[in-house]
Amino acid sequence: MAQSSPSFDEELLSGFLDGTLAHREMQRVRLVLEEQPELRRELEEMRAIRQTALSTRFAPPEPTAWPELPQTRASFFSRSLGWLVLCSWLLVVTGMALWRFLSSHEDPLEIFIVLGLPGAVLLLFVSVLMDRLSTLKDDRYHRDVHR
Amino acid sequence: MPLSPAVDPVGACSEAELVRRARKGDAAACEELAVRHRDSAFFLALQLLGNRDDALDVAQDAMLRFFKHIHRFDVSRPVRPWLFQIVRNRVLDMFRRRKVRKHDSIDAAQEDEDRADLQLVDESVDLERDASRNQLQKRIWLALQELSHAQREIIVLRDYQDMAYSEIATALGIPIGTVMSRLHGARKKLRKVLQGNLEDYLN
Repeated sequence: MAQSSPSFDEELLSGFLDGTLAHREMQRVRLVLEEQPELRRELEEMRAIRQTALSTRFAPPEPTAWPELPQTRASFFSRSLGWLVLCSWLLVVTGMALWRFLSSHEDPLEIFIVLGLPGAVLLLFVSVLMDRLSTLKDDRYHRDVHR
Repeated sequence: MPLSPAVDPVGACSEAELVRRARKGDAAACEELAVRHRDSAFFLALQLLGNRDDALDVAQDAMLRFFKHIHRFDVSRPVRPWLFQIVRNRVLDMFRRRKVRKHDSIDAAQEDEDRADLQLVDESVDLERDASRNQLQKRIWLALQELSHAQREIIVLRDYQDMAYSEIATALGIPIGTVMSRLHGARKKLRKVLQGNLEDYLN
């Protein structure tokens, strides 16, 4: 451990190494370094680590590892519109079929047998949708991009 | 008739122009942006996580989010810090959700070393010096995995990514004055972990 003078703040060594200190502080660090070989050693080690880290190169992933072209704004809107039209169509057709079925059948058991399964599937779908919306609300990324 | 050389217009575009074109749905501009930045996103994720598989997941997800929200991006700013912010948030999410444990990270780093994923670009004629540097790169990489996430993050941003103090302060959301003290603390810890390993390189 370096035996620095009591008034010398060792953090300045990092500032000195990175060249972020004011001229006066740089001069001060130089003087301290001349007097203290332990601090010179510490600085040289930090410099070696930095230079070695900077020269480190990692192998990139294969180009095929990346997903297909990202979704652009235009495709996003056309896809959203497509889903909207599809959902509207399904809603209207289902509503009409439901209304006609209910107006022509009065037996509760028959109604339950026909509508029980689609009703249960719909409820499950709604519960998953609510979970998704809840997750989206807590997504920190959405907060960050609005900063 | 002489043939004019084939010129790829997106290749010569500035970053801001590419972003503008990508917002309008130009697939070539999107592809060019992706090619320019995806490896950087992967390297940052790898340096923060110490694991290639997780890093690829994070980088892929970050790139998709980048393009999904590109219409919110301020064109007057460079892409890299924004993309890095997305990568960093995805890394934090991964730590939070999957509770990535320290020994997992060290094991993964050891595997990476074994698979020789580190590659030198310095083509110095001094082979002995090159070998020594290569060894030190691996030792520093392994030592980095023993630091806390906050310590590793600041070392990665400064010493691997060569970001300025002001950029680091923005990325981490801390005052610029705190960067130097946090960085120095992390460097001291890294030196401590590396104790003795720097001798050969310095002498």
